[in-house]
Amino acid sequence: MRALCDHAVDAATASGADYADARAVSRRVQHVATKNGEVDAVSDGETEGVGVRVLVGGAWGFACDRRLSEDGAREAAARAVAFARASAASAKRATIELVPLQPARGEYRTPAERDPIDVPLSEKIDLCLRAEAGMRHADVKITEAVVRSQRERRAFRSSEGADVYQEFAECGAGIDALAVRDGRVQVRSYPSAHGGASAQAGWEFVESLQLEREAPRVGEEAAALLRADPCPSEVTTIVADAEQMVLQLHESVGHPTELDRVYGTEAAYAGTSFLKPGDLGNLRYGSEHMNVIADSTTPEGLGTFAFDDEGVPAARETIVESGILRGFLSSRETAAQLGSGHGGSMRGDGWSRMPLVRMTNLHLEPGEGSVEDLLADIDDGIYLCTNKSWSIDDKRLNFQFGTQVAWEIKKGKLGRMLRDATYMGRTPDFWASMDAVAGRDEWRLHGLTNCGKGQPGQHAHVSHGTVPARFRDVRVGVREA
Amino acid sequence: MSPEAAALELAERAFRAAEADQAEALVHSERSGFARFAGSEVHQPTLIRDESVTLRLVRDGRVGCAVTNRTDDEGLREAAQRAAEAADGSPLDPYFAGLQEPADVPEVEGYDEGTSALTPEEQADGAARAIAAVDDSGLYGYFTSGVTEVALASTTGHAVSQRMTDASVLVVAATETESGFAEASAWRASDLDPAAVAREAAEKARRTSKASEIEAGTYRAVLEPYAFSELLWYFGWSSVGALACLEERSYLSGRIGETVFHQEFSLYDDALDPRGLPKAFDLEGAPKQRVAIVEQGIARDVVWDRRTAKRAGGGRRSTGHALQPTAQSFGPVPFNLSVPPGDATLDELVSRVDDGIYVTRLHYLGVVDPREGIITGMTRDGTFRIEGGRVTQPLVNLRFTTSFPALVEKLLGLGKEVVLVNRSDFYDERYPFGTLVPHAASEAFTIVGTGSGPGL
Repeated sequence: MRALCDHAVDAATASGADYADARAVSRRVQHVATKNGEVDAVSDGETEGVGVRVLVGGAWGFACDRRLSEDGAREAAARAVAFARASAASAKRATIELVPLQPARGEYRTPAERDPIDVPLSEKIDLCLRAEAGMRHADVKITEAVVRSQRERRAFRSSEGADVYQEFAECGAGIDALAVRDGRVQVRSYPSAHGGASAQAGWEFVESLQLEREAPRVGEEAAALLRADPCPSEVTTIVADAEQMVLQLHESVGHPTELDRVYGTEAAYAGTSFLKPGDLGNLRYGSEHMNVIADSTTPEGLGTFAFDDEGVPAARETIVESGILRGFLSSRETAAQLGSGHGGSMRGDGWSRMPLVRMTNLHLEPGEGSVEDLLADIDDGIYLCTNKSWSIDDKRLNFQFGTQVAWEIKKGKLGRMLRDATYMGRTPDFWASMDAVAGRDEWRLHGLTNCGKGQPGQHAHVSHGTVPARFRDVRVGVREA
Repeated sequence: MSPEAAALELAERAFRAAEADQAEALVHSERSGFARFAGSEVHQPTLIRDESVTLRLVRDGRVGCAVTNRTDDEGLREAAQRAAEAADGSPLDPYFAGLQEPADVPEVEGYDEGTSALTPEEQADGAARAIAAVDDSGLYGYFTSGVTEVALASTTGHAVSQRMTDASVLVVAATETESGFAEASAWRASDLDPAAVAREAAEKARRTSKASEIEAGTYRAVLEPYAFSELLWYFGWSSVGALACLEERSYLSGRIGETVFHQEFSLYDDALDPRGLPKAFDLEGAPKQRVAIVEQGIARDVVWDRRTAKRAGGGRRSTGHALQPTAQSFGPVPFNLSVPPGDATLDELVSRVDDGIYVTRLHYLGVVDPREGIITGMTRDGTFRIEGGRVTQPLVNLRFTTSFPALVEKLLGLGKEVVLVNRSDFYDERYPFGTLVPHAASEAFTIVGTGSGPGL
C-alpha cells in the first residue's frame, strides 16, 4: 500500500502538482443485526482503493480509484491533477498556503486483545440473540440488537516526504426495545441510541458493555414509558446525563468549532458557524464550568490516531477553557488562514473522499461530585437521559433535542418517569446556564459512527468523553404550539 | 462488450463463485465528478470510480451477505467464502422470501449518453458557469454529474441491469447578512442551466437582508418545492415503508383506507416517471411499480419489498422498493415520491395564505414522533413574511416543530408545476433519487422559536 501511494504521489508531481498526497485504504466491516429473536442482517464487507489529493497553483483536486494497483494509482493521480487544473479557472488565490510540517513518519496500531473481525459471526449472532431475549415484555413489540466490527489499514505518503502506516480496529454494540400500545410508541436503548456505542478497541470492549445484564431494565423502561406522563412544557432546571451530553457537545461545540465551517466552506450543506475567526481567545462560549478539549490520543477513542490524513501528529488541544473559546479544529490550510494552530483534524472517509476538518475525540472535562450532588440542589427540575431526536440550525446556534426518557426532580430526588421530553436553546446562552458538572468518576467515553458532513457525503467516527451536567432556565417540553 | 453486458457478466461471475443452494450478485458501479465550490471558487473537486459486488447466498435456508470491490477472481472467491460463513453462522430467517424469480422489468428512461460522457473539465465548467453568473454574492454549492450502473443476476435465472445518469447544480448565494438557495436536478445534464440556478439563489439572497423575528405559533405558509420535498422525504422515510407500518411505528399504521389528508393531496411512489430519476427494478431485482400511497386524501398503501410482503402474508407482493440485501433491516424505501400538481399559480398560493410565512428551504430535520408524523427543523436561505397576500419582509431562520399530517390535511392548495428535487446527499455509493413536488400552501406550519439571521 505504501508503494502504491508513492506511485500516485510521483505521478501527480510529474504531472505538475505543487503538492500531492495519497491514501491507500483497505476496510473490512462486519454487521450483525437481530430483531425479535430472528436474524435481521448478517454481512461482511470489504472495500479498498487509493485517493490522491493534489494542489496545482491555487486549486485542489482529488480523484480516487478502487484498484490498488500501479495503474489505479497513476490514473487517479492524473485525473486529480486534471480536475485541479480545470477547477483553477475559479481560483482566487495563486497559491494555497499550508502550515509548515515536519514530514510524518511512523506506524500505529490499535491496542486490542482480540481483533473484532476475527470473532466468528456466529458468536456475534449469539450475543445479539441473548441480549435481545432479556428485553422481552408484554408491551415491547420490537427488540433489536446490533454488533459491528471494523478493521482498517491506511497508508499515507506525501510529496513532502510523509510516510505513515496505521491499522485501526473498531467494534461496537447496542440494544433497543420498542414498546407500542394504543397508538403510542416509546423506545429505550443501551448503551446509547442510534446504533449503540463503539470504540477503537478489541472485542473486549463489546464484552465490557454487558448487554445481557442491562437488557431487562431496557425492556421494562420502554414499557413503563407507555404509561408515563408527558414532559411538561415549562422553563426549568435540567440535568442531562452523560450520553445526552455527548450529543449536546457534538452538535453545539464540535461542529461550530470546525474551522472550515467558520470560513464558510460547508455553507451549502452542513452549514457555517456562529463563531468568527476573531472570537478566538475572546468569546465567552459558556460558564466558567465549561472546559472542552480535543484529544486525538484518547485511549479507545474513535478519533484516535498517530497522524491525521494530512500527516499531522496527534495532540491534545484546548478548545474551551473556563468558558472562553481557546481553539478551533483545523486543517493545515485553515490553520494557515487563521494564523493559529497547526491542523490535526483532517480526516477522510475511506479512500474515496477528500479529507475534511472533522472532530477527533472532543471531551467535556469533569468538574466535581456525583449525579446525586447535581440533583441535590434542585427543588424542581427534569433529568434527561439518552438522545432520541436532534436538530440544530446551520450556524449551530438554535437547537432542539429530545431524549428517550426523563424523570422529574423534586427536592433533590428523582420522581416520576416522563415521556417525550424535548428541550431547546441557543448555544452560548445554554452553555452559560451550566452551573455544575459532575466529577471524574462520572466521566464516560462514547463513540459515534454517524457524523455526516461534506459533498459528496462522508461519515466520520468520533468519540466524546462527557459527564452529566446541570443547566438552569431551560425550555423543556417543546412540541407543537 | 457494452457496459450493461459487462456488469451482468461480472454479476454472473460473482454468483457462480459461490457454493450455495441459491446465490445472487448485485453489481453497483459509479463514475462521478463533484465540483464543489465555496466563496465562488471550486475548493473540493472530487472524482470517484468504484465498482462493488454484493453477494447474497442461501445455504440450507440460511442467508448471508458479503460485499467486495475486488472484482478479480480471488476477490470474488473470498467474498463468496465470507458470505458462506455469514450464512452458516445464521439461524433460519422466517421472513426470507427467496430470491427474485425471473421477471420482466419495465422499460424506463433515465440514461443520457451526453451526461455519462461529461469530462472532469466539463464538470468543473458546470460550476464555473454558476459562479460566473453572479458577482455580488459569494456562491456555495456544487455541480455534479455521474453515471451509475446496477446489475443483478442470480441462480434463479433472473438477470437485469440498468444504467442511470444524474446531474445536479445546487447554489447558496450568501453574504454575511443575506442568503438564498436554488437547486436543479435531472438525469440529462443538458437540461440544467447552472447560471439560472445561481441567479435564482442570488435574487432570493438580495431580499433577505434586515430580517426580523416573529412570535412562535401556528402559521399559514407557502412552502417552495425544496422545503416541501424535504418534509415529504422525512415523512416518507419514517411512515411510507411497509416495515414501519407492520411495526406500528408509522403514521399510516392502521389508517390505510381512511381519509387522512386534504382531498387535493395525492401521493405516489413512481419510479417510472421520466420527469424523475427513473428506476426499472429495486436492489433485489424486483420490478418497480407505481404505488398509490394517498389518493385524494385517502391513505391507500405503502411500499413493499419481498421480505415485508412475506411477513404480512395474505398474498402481498413486493412493489419493488427493496434496499440492497445488506441494508434490508431498514425495510423498503420510497425513493421516488411524487405529488401531483394542483391548479394554483405561486401568486395564488401566496394570496390564499394572505397572512403567514414563505419558506424556501429547510435544514437538519429530525423526526420527533414518527407515529404522529411530527418533524422538527429550521428554515434557511430565504424565509419571508406574507402579509396582505404578498411576500413582504425577510425573516430570520425559524425553528419549526410541526405535524406533517396536519400540514397536508389543512392544505390551501398546490402549485401547477412539479419540480424534481434531488434528495441524495451522495453518501456511500451513488444511487440517484429525488422527489417530484409542487409548491404547497397550508394553514398549519408550526413555529416554536427563532434562530440566527440569514447569511454566513
